[in-house]
Amino acid sequence: MSKTLICSCEDVTAEDIRHAVSRGYSDVESVKRFTGFGTGICQGKGCLSAVAALLCKEKAQKPASLLPFTPRPPLYPTELSVLASMKVDESKPPVGGVPEELAVFPPTLRPEGPLPAKAKVVIIGGGIMGLALAYNLSLRGETDVVVLERGYLCAGASGRNGGGVRMQWGTSANIELAKRSIELMGRFARDMGINVWLRQGGYLFMARTKAVAERLERNVALHNKHGVPTRLLTVDEAREIVPGLSLAGARAASYNPEDGVIFPWPFLWGYANGCRKAGIKVETFTNVTGFETSDGLVRKVKTDRGDIACDTVVLASGAWSPEIAKMVGVKLPNEPHRHEILSTEPLKPFLSPLVSVLDSGLYFSQSMRGEIVGGMGDAKEPAGLNMGSTLRFVSRFSQALLEQMPDLGHVKVLRQWAGCYDVTPDNNPVLGRTPGLENLLQMSGFVGHGFMMAPAVAERMAGWMTTGESDELFTRFNLRRFQEGKLEREDMIIG
Amino acid sequence: MRRLPDAAARGKSITLDLEGETVPAVEGEPVACSLIATGESVLARSIKYHRARGPYCFSGACSHCLMRVDGVPNVYTCRTPARAGMKLERQNAYPSAKVDVFEAIDWFFPNGLDHHEMFAGVPVAEQVMAKVARQLAGLGLLPASPAPERMPVQTLRTRVALVGGGAAGLAAARVLASQGVSFLLFEREGFLGGRLAAGAPEPDAPKALDASALPSGSVRTRATVIGLYDDEAGRFLAVVADGPEGLRLLKVYAERFLLTPGGHPPMLPFENNDLPGVYAGRAASLLMRRYGVAPEVAALVGWGPELYALARLMEEHGTKVAAVVDLKGPVPSGAPAGATQGGEPKAHGRNEVSGFSYTNASGKRVKVDCDAVLVAVATSPSFELARQGGAKVEFDEAREVFAVVADADGRTEAKDLYVAGDVTGGRSAAEAAADGKRAAEALVGSLTGGQS
Repeated sequence: MSKTLICSCEDVTAEDIRHAVSRGYSDVESVKRFTGFGTGICQGKGCLSAVAALLCKEKAQKPASLLPFTPRPPLYPTELSVLASMKVDESKPPVGGVPEELAVFPPTLRPEGPLPAKAKVVIIGGGIMGLALAYNLSLRGETDVVVLERGYLCAGASGRNGGGVRMQWGTSANIELAKRSIELMGRFARDMGINVWLRQGGYLFMARTKAVAERLERNVALHNKHGVPTRLLTVDEAREIVPGLSLAGARAASYNPEDGVIFPWPFLWGYANGCRKAGIKVETFTNVTGFETSDGLVRKVKTDRGDIACDTVVLASGAWSPEIAKMVGVKLPNEPHRHEILSTEPLKPFLSPLVSVLDSGLYFSQSMRGEIVGGMGDAKEPAGLNMGSTLRFVSRFSQALLEQMPDLGHVKVLRQWAGCYDVTPDNNPVLGRTPGLENLLQMSGFVGHGFMMAPAVAERMAGWMTTGESDELFTRFNLRRFQEGKLEREDMIIG
Repeated sequence: MRRLPDAAARGKSITLDLEGETVPAVEGEPVACSLIATGESVLARSIKYHRARGPYCFSGACSHCLMRVDGVPNVYTCRTPARAGMKLERQNAYPSAKVDVFEAIDWFFPNGLDHHEMFAGVPVAEQVMAKVARQLAGLGLLPASPAPERMPVQTLRTRVALVGGGAAGLAAARVLASQGVSFLLFEREGFLGGRLAAGAPEPDAPKALDASALPSGSVRTRATVIGLYDDEAGRFLAVVADGPEGLRLLKVYAERFLLTPGGHPPMLPFENNDLPGVYAGRAASLLMRRYGVAPEVAALVGWGPELYALARLMEEHGTKVAAVVDLKGPVPSGAPAGATQGGEPKAHGRNEVSGFSYTNASGKRVKVDCDAVLVAVATSPSFELARQGGAKVEFDEAREVFAVVADADGRTEAKDLYVAGDVTGGRSAAEAAADGKRAAEALVGSLTGGQS
């Protein structure tokens, strides 16, 4: 069959690029995500310029708006065994990271039309939280809403995470939210008309120290109380679920077959499409520059495309939330922390669940496309909006992964990248009204698991906002708790 | 493709095991080169549509030649030297790459498939599709065995780290050597010279330089730079060096980085541009000049001086040139006879190229028989390391490529980072060499504390 290939690694045709443009995705980063071009073994070496030339010819973009998608190391596929050969001094914090992210996207990428002069609700942040909230508001009849996003859809943590979704948590609140979210994810394609490829292959947690093993055992009991079918595994059972898994040093393992992995990007597109169909404006490449307040209320949100007068403002900017809050004089306890992640060459299916070592935060799973996707937190990571990649991470990760899966040494890493967790002192979110600015609503602080919580949190928040009925979620996780000292810590954080 | 009849023996004759069949090869030659020289043009099936694939770029910049080699999946056979008894398997095909039942997917979706919307929300169908998609996805099976223990990482320090030993890199190395500035040059290939050694010869190109002309120990070949990182000790290149002891990771700290990596052979979008037998122009010249492997009859398509230089190289060595189609034109004076301006190129053939067609200046379709289509266009600058190092990259509308922004002396937005040659946009080898020389001189001038 005659075809014109533009990215032959991923079998993306020139027609696919035109299709993406027709769906509203015309900046290079979005076209890459929508079509998959440049995500294969060669990482765009052969196709990137050709795609840009096509976007230019089709007048989908002006030349000045054409930027290459961020080139991620390694430049050529590199074996895990080679990367693992570097010793890392874990007692010192990581320094550096490449490449530097763009501080500001080129102004030529901004939408040309004006922003509405006023709106009932302005949501700052077009990640999964903001878009899911806007969509849920529309379901309840509120469509006078504007969503502001500084980059393309998927530019922040919502587009950078590993796609894990799980019900195995350490607090009742999170277990219940996750349960509801996964239920909503299961019918997302039906509701939104876009596939998100939820694959419920389970989460397999391992614990190595006595204290962590006891915590895991305690949490399993809590999961069962909430109807989550988590069970403790014997070594043999764990090996049966993941052939080739080393359990040397493992003291306990737990498994919930209903946890799984999803493909993050289409969630954002699905919610954004849903919003737009309802008449909600989703404004990409638009920066918030300040606020106008009076009498304890936010009156206007200022942007680099004009001001919007509004009744309610929702801060849903993830790791950028403290920066934005500062513009209006609010100090959030949140801190951004880089978390690095990588993806390997695609292989035929061999790994069903997401596997995680709770002690180190190592996690890895196999995506629908066949890549091993995984990360591992770094206890020494300093606070800051750093989204660069380090050799330190790929080395640490490769060592940790090969310790669990010794047969994968020849598997090659294709790219590494990073995103920022939005970390709070008790690992729980910041929700509800802001003391002193009653119409500024908080929706941040999800510590790396916002993606999987968003459908349920947004549903509850839209209900709370539109009905005025009280909901304990927005009192429990209110900013006040940090002054009042009523903290309930979530202890199942990984990555 | 065939071996040129008068080609001198370039290595020991050996055999490889291709899915149980014994095929001849030349020791040390890229596996993919030996395979196409024996007429094995289909090396794999593509990831989604299961289209036949054979090597295209011979540069590690596509994925057409990936095979399972000695139990390791997704190995670039264009970059793997042949060794006697090597076990080769084609991937992503059932029952075989020559007759693959999943090719039906290609026919079933003539206009492509939108995996975002296909069966979205359709009860049962979406579940079935998810299961089928998971089984069909991925390329290659798990490695058959664990990797060997790797040598511990080696840390090197030098004043100047040079990436790429082509025209620009060698000219720069010569300046650094003559001024007594210590440097390390990393070249991904097993030989120096880049297009000076493997491209279509350009009339005014400088001579390639032998490593022996440079200070001993300053040149590392088969050394692939995988990143320009930084850490508490400063900026460094991460390099994977392939030596007798296996693969070894190097960390190379330097005061200055001079990036002359050239460019990647790009895909040119036209119908059936992925058909086995379609080769990048630079691949064709490499095969001809270094390994004595060439098409019987070739159709050339592209633009710029490389198109005509390649046509001359092919004709000189006995390849019949069936067409030279310049997609931009006009055809310059002195071009080989028969060269013409045209458009809408298309490769023809079932599982490999058997013909080529295009629309000529008067709007007529012209078709020629050939066993190879050679795509000679400017390379796509390899800007990745420069961008990682903080240099600016812009789209050059006229050349249709992303290129690193630098001043005439190769200075970039990053103080310690210089660039020269094709990485700033496609130019001739002579110009690239002049760039390299100038950048090295500017770089030396920026060094503090004298030369050492």
